[in-house]
Amino acid sequence: MEEEPRILIGDKVVSRRDLFQEEERARKERGKLSFEEKIRILVRLQELAHNWGRRKDAIIWKI
Amino acid sequence: MKKTLSVLNELKEKGLIKDYAIGGAIAALRWTEPFFTEDLDIFIILEKEPDEKGLIVLSPIYEYLGSRGYGRKEHWVIIEGVPVDIFPADPLEKEAIEEAEEVEYEGVKTKVIVPEYLIALFLRAGRGKDLRKVEMLLEQCEIDKERLQKILHQYGLYDKFKEFEGKRYGRGAEDPYW
Repeated sequence: MEEEPRILIGDKVVSRRDLFQEEERARKERGKLSFEEKIRILVRLQELAHNWGRRKDAIIWKI
Repeated sequence: MKKTLSVLNELKEKGLIKDYAIGGAIAALRWTEPFFTEDLDIFIILEKEPDEKGLIVLSPIYEYLGSRGYGRKEHWVIIEGVPVDIFPADPLEKEAIEEAEEVEYEGVKTKVIVPEYLIALFLRAGRGKDLRKVEMLLEQCEIDKERLQKILHQYGLYDKFKEFEGKRYGRGAEDPYW
């Protein structure tokens, strides 16, 4: 069986699986942000889509 | 957003609607990590039942919003800079509104449909983007499995859920939910 590659980040050696687990954990943490904070992030995503993501028609909310 | 919600609350205060709740992507986002979306979906229970021809009359709502200067763009009405889609509720959506969680957004009261009903609604809609939200809800927030199961059975969506689960997690996979 092929050994899973190890990745060095700073002084920590992790596997891809560790990174995926960490990503999942971070998602759940972001899920706990307040509604207001999430809407502020949404507006930043809308700005990104409009200014950077070839979505000139994207509507940016006024909050 | 705060002003948008205040205007929606006005619809209730003026007796134009009996109740409303936030649904769709913004409701999902209340329970998951933030993701891109453009509009605010609002499900409403009207004061009046459909007329004798079975027609659901939304005109007074749009007339009121128009009188406040909120114009329409494509299928949305733009309320304080936020594109809003207004959907008259069917039986499942009515129950979802009644069971929605009361929350405050910058001090303004509103209601948000809870994950168990959102899953049923997205599953029923069944488009790719809806099913991606089902996945996010199942993976990122706590689900009352008993409540979800009850809703799915009540509205004939249980088989659809099992099919979704099979496709998502593989038919041979251990059942992750119940």
